Amino acid sequence: MLTLAILIPLIGAVILAFAPPANRQATRLAALATALLPLIVLIVVWMGFDTSPDAPAFQAVEDFAWIPTLGVGWRVGVDGISLVIATMSALVFAASIAWPIELDDRSRQYYAWLLFLESVSLAVFLVLDLLLFYVFFDLSLVGMFFLISRWGHGEAQSAALKFFLYTFVGSLAILLAIIALVLAGDGPLTFDMRVLITRHPYGAGGWAAGLTLFGFLFGFAIKTPLFPLHTWLPPAHVNAPAPASAILAGVLLKMGTYGLIRIPMSMMPETFARYAPILGAFAVASILWGAFVALGQADMKRRIAYTSINHMGYAVLGIAAAGSLFFGSEGARQLALTGAVVEMVAHGLITGSLFLMTGIFWRRAKTYQLDAYGGIAGVAPKLTALFILAAFASLGLPGLAGFVAEFQVFAGTFAVYPWFAGLGLIGILITAALFLTMVQRVFFGELPADRRLFSDLTPSEYAIVGVLLTLVVVVGVYPRWLLAPIHAAAAAITAGPLG
Amino acid sequence: MIVWLLFLIPLIGGLILLIGPIHRSWFAGASSTTCLATLAAAMIANGSRSASIIEWGGPLRLTATLTPMSALVAMLVPIVAAAVIAYASAHEDSCGLRRLIGLLVLFVAGMELLLIADDFLTVLIGWEAVGACSWALIGHQWRDAEAGESAIYAFIATRLGDLGLFVSAMAVFAGSGSFAFAGLSQLSSGYLALAAAGVTVSAAAKSGQVPFAPWLFRAMAGPTSVSALLHAATMVAAGAYLLLRLQPMLAPVAWFGPVVIGIGLATALTGGLVALVQPHAKKLLAASTSAHYGLMFVATGAGFPLVALFHLVAHALFKSLLFLVAGIAGERAGDYQLRHMGFGALMPMIAGASAIGALALAGVPPLGAGWTKEQIVSAAGSHSALLAILVMLAGMLSAAYAARFHLLSFGIVKDENITSYFPAPVEKAMPALLAIGSIALGALWLGGVHTGLSHQLGGALPDGQLWEIGASLALVVVGLVLGDAAARRRDLGTAGRAAMVADWLGLPRLVDASLVRPILLLSTLAARADDRIVDTGVTCTAWFGQTVSTLATLADARIVDAGVAWTAWISRQLSCLGSGIGEAMTDGLPTYAARLVATGGQQSVRLQTGMTHHYYVIIVGGIVGVVALLLLGL
Repeated sequence: MLTLAILIPLIGAVILAFAPPANRQATRLAALATALLPLIVLIVVWMGFDTSPDAPAFQAVEDFAWIPTLGVGWRVGVDGISLVIATMSALVFAASIAWPIELDDRSRQYYAWLLFLESVSLAVFLVLDLLLFYVFFDLSLVGMFFLISRWGHGEAQSAALKFFLYTFVGSLAILLAIIALVLAGDGPLTFDMRVLITRHPYGAGGWAAGLTLFGFLFGFAIKTPLFPLHTWLPPAHVNAPAPASAILAGVLLKMGTYGLIRIPMSMMPETFARYAPILGAFAVASILWGAFVALGQADMKRRIAYTSINHMGYAVLGIAAAGSLFFGSEGARQLALTGAVVEMVAHGLITGSLFLMTGIFWRRAKTYQLDAYGGIAGVAPKLTALFILAAFASLGLPGLAGFVAEFQVFAGTFAVYPWFAGLGLIGILITAALFLTMVQRVFFGELPADRRLFSDLTPSEYAIVGVLLTLVVVVGVYPRWLLAPIHAAAAAITAGPLG
Repeated sequence: MIVWLLFLIPLIGGLILLIGPIHRSWFAGASSTTCLATLAAAMIANGSRSASIIEWGGPLRLTATLTPMSALVAMLVPIVAAAVIAYASAHEDSCGLRRLIGLLVLFVAGMELLLIADDFLTVLIGWEAVGACSWALIGHQWRDAEAGESAIYAFIATRLGDLGLFVSAMAVFAGSGSFAFAGLSQLSSGYLALAAAGVTVSAAAKSGQVPFAPWLFRAMAGPTSVSALLHAATMVAAGAYLLLRLQPMLAPVAWFGPVVIGIGLATALTGGLVALVQPHAKKLLAASTSAHYGLMFVATGAGFPLVALFHLVAHALFKSLLFLVAGIAGERAGDYQLRHMGFGALMPMIAGASAIGALALAGVPPLGAGWTKEQIVSAAGSHSALLAILVMLAGMLSAAYAARFHLLSFGIVKDENITSYFPAPVEKAMPALLAIGSIALGALWLGGVHTGLSHQLGGALPDGQLWEIGASLALVVVGLVLGDAAARRRDLGTAGRAAMVADWLGLPRLVDASLVRPILLLSTLAARADDRIVDTGVTCTAWFGQTVSTLATLADARIVDAGVAWTAWISRQLSCLGSGIGEAMTDGLPTYAARLVATGGQQSVRLQTGMTHHYYVIIVGGIVGVVALLLLGL
C-alpha cells in the first residue's frame, strides 16, 4: 500500500517526462490528479492506523529482500510520526502542484520534476531501510536543485548550486554515519531500521558512538537547518519559484528533524542523551537568531525564510528535550516530542501557505520588498485575510496549529531544560513583532499609486491556500486526531532503552 | 457542557456578524441578541459548579467551570458589551463597521473563554485571543499607518506579559504534571513562586500597570467603542480578574501580596497624576483605567479578592459610560482635546450621564463605586494605615481628574460649534442605561446587600474603620475642588513639564529607548551579521576550493605540462640515439604483429564451437585471468 504512495508519483513523473507535448492546463491537471493519489493512500493508511498502547510501532509494513548479503531490503512502513509527516507532505505537494504558475513550454518537465520530488520525498519518510533512506534523501536534493535552477528567478543558478553543495556535504556526513552505525554492534549485517532501533548498536557509547552521532547531527542540522549552518536557506527560498519554496520549507526541512528522531534519537539513545544539551543550545540559538534576523529583513520572502529557522529551532528544541534521558519525567519528554512533531506538521502547512502567497506578490508585481507595498488590504481583501491568518498561525496564536505545537514544546522542554525553554520564549515575542510589522507594511497604510491594479486571489489560489489554512484552524481548535498517532509513537521513543 | 456556551454563543454570533448583512439596525439587534443569549447561558451555567472537559490528548485538556466570582464577571461582560456594541453600531463610521461589530462580539467570546477557564492552557487561549482581537480593533482604521503601529505596540506589549502566563503554565506542568489551576496546590515552593511571578507579570501587562501602562495610551488609536469595551469589560479587566481568581492559591508565596500591592499602588498614584494633567479626553480615561485597576491590584494583594471584584464591576459600569460620552463629545468637537469641548448646554441628557459617571469615578456616595473604593481603603488599612492613606490619596487624585474630565467635556462654555453632529437616540440611550446601572449599584452601601452578596460569592470583606471613611471622603472633596481648579486652566498638559507628566511621565520614551529601539537595532545588526559573518565560513570554503582549483590549474600548466615537454624532449633524444635499432624495430613490429593476429584468428575460430558450456569455461577463465592480473597488481 505505502509502496504505491512512492510509485504512483514516480510513474507519473516518467510518463510526463516522455509523453508527447500537451497543453499546460491538461498537464497541470494530470499532475494534480497523480499527486492526489498518494494523499488518498496515506489517508487510508491513517484511517486504519491503530493507536492503542499494544499496537505494533510500525504498521502497514511491506518488506522485500533486495540485497540480502548487505541486509538491504525494500522496507516501507509508518509509525505515528512518519505517518503524519508524510500525509502533511503529500498535501503540501498536492497544493504546490495545483498552484497556478507561469511556465514557458517546459511545463511537462516542471511537473515531472515536482512528481519525482514528491515520490522521493515521501519515500524518505516511509522507508524503513537506512540505505534507501540515504538514497532518497539525496535524490530529493537533485529534484529541488533542478526546480530552483530551471524555474527560479533572480540568482537562481548560484542559489541552487549553493543549496545543492551545502546540503550534499551534510548528506555525505550522514552516509558515513549510517555506514558506521550499521557496522557497529553485534548481529547480522542489516540496514533494517526496526532491527537497529531495538538493537542500539552502540549500547552505552564510546568515542566511535560520539563521532557517529556527530555525523548525523551535522548532516541533519544542515538540512533542518540549524544555526549556524543555515545560510543556504534564504537564497534558495528567495530565488525559488513559490511552489518549490513551499515544498522546500514544508517538506524538505522536515527531513532533517525527522531524521534526528528516527535515526540518532531512536537508534543510539544513550549517546544522543549525552549530547542532547548541546543540541538544545543550538536549537535555542536558532530560535533567537532566526527571529532576530527575520525582523531585520526588508524582503518578505527572506523574512519568512528566516522564520523557518526559528520554527525548526522549536522542533529541534523539543527533540533535544525529548531525547535527554537523564532529566525530566517521561511525561514531559513525551510532551516535548509530540510538540516537536506537531511543530513540523504545523510549520509545513503554515509556511507552505505563506510561501505560496508570496508567489502572488512576485507574479503580480515582481518584487518581494516590503516597502514596495502598502495598503494592499484595499485592493486584495481575500489575500489580506488569509495572509493575516497564516501570519497569526505562524506567530503561535492560540486556536491555530502553531500554538498547539509551541505550547507543548515549551511545556515539555521546561521540565527538562528550564533555561532553554525560558530563553526560547523570547522567540515567540520577536516572531509576533516581525509578522505584525510585515502585515502592517504590506497590507495597511496608504496604497502606492502603482499598486492600484494589484489583483486579489483567483478562485484556485483562494481554494488552495484555503484548504491548507482550514487544516491549520482545525488542528488549532481540535488537535486530538493529530495528537493520537504522534503520541503513540512518542511514547515508544521516549521510553528509551529501558522501556 | 453548557458552560462552553458562554464562549460558543458570542463566537458564532461574531462570525455570523462578520459575514452577515451590512445594516446598522441588524448590527445592533444581532449583537444585543448574542450578548443577551450569552448572559442567559451564564445564568443557567451558574447553577452547576462541575467542570466540563474537552480532551486534546495527553496532558492537554481544556477545562471549563464557573466559580461564583467568575460567574459574576461572566454576566457583567455581556451586559456592558451589549450597551457598548449597540452604541457602536449607531456611533461609529460606516466604513468597515461590519468588521468592527463582528470583532467586538468575538472579543467578548475570547473574554468569556478566559473567564470559564479552569486551567492554564484554556486561560492562555482566551488570553491571547483577546490580545489578537484588540490588535485588529485598535488598528481598525487600517489606512491610517499610525493606528496600525499603535495596534502592534499594544499587541507586543501585552504579549510580553503573556510570556508570564506561558512560564506559569510550564511551571505548573513541571511541578504537577497537569495544567489545571488545582495543580498549583501541589507545587513545590520554587515552582509556585515561578507561577506566581508569571501570573503577576501577565496580569500587570494586561491591566495596563506600570511599566506596561503606555500600551493603553497607544490603544486610544482605536474607535471609542473599542476603548469602552477594552477598558471596562474585556482585555484590561482580564488581568485583574486572573489575579483575583488565583489569589487564594498564590497567597502562600511570601512576596506575592506585597509585590502586587506595590505594582498596583505605583500605578494608581502615577496614573492619577497623569490623568490629572492629560489634555486628551480618552487618554485621561485610559490613565484613570490603569489607576483603578491598580486599586484592584492593591485589594487583591492585601488579601481581599472579593473587594477587587466589586470594584471591577463598578468600574466596568462607569468607565464604559464615560468612554461613550467622551466619544460623543469628541465627535462633536472634531478631536478629543478637552479644551475644545464643553457641551453641557447643548446635550443636557448626555451631560447628566457624564456627571453620574464622573461622580462614580470620583467615588462619591451614594454611588456603588464609592462603596467599593472605601472597601479598598479598608482592605489596605487591614495591611497598614500608611497603605490606607496612600490609597486615599489615589482616591483624591481620582476625584480630581473625574471632576476635571466632566467640567471640561460637559461643562457649560460657549459652543464654538465646530461640527453639526448630534448623537442618535441609541447613542444617548446607552450612556443613560449605564448611568442607571451605576446608580443601582449604590445598593451596595446597604449592609444587608453587601454581606449577602459576599456570602454568596464566598469571599471576605475587610473590617472598615471610621477614621478611614471620614478621611477618605474628606480627601474626595479636596480632590473635587482640585479638579475644578485644574479645569479652569483649559490648556493644562499641552506644554511644558505638565505635558511630560501627561505623557505617562516619559515612560513611553523610556520603553522606546531601552527596549524597542535596541531590539530593532539588534535585529538589523543580526541580519547584516548573518549575511556577512555566519555565511563567511561557507563562502571561505567555496573560495578555498576555487583557489585550490586555480592553483591546481596553474600547477597543471607549469609542472605537468613541463613534465610532458621534458618527456617529449628525452624521447626525441633517445630516438635520435637509437635510430639504427629503431629502424629495424619499427619495421619489424607491424610485421610480427600481423603474423600474430593471423595465428590468433585461426586459433579463435577453433574456439567457436557453438557449445555454451565451452563459452562459460572461457569466460570464467578470462575472469580468473583478470582477477589474477589485478591481484598481482598488474
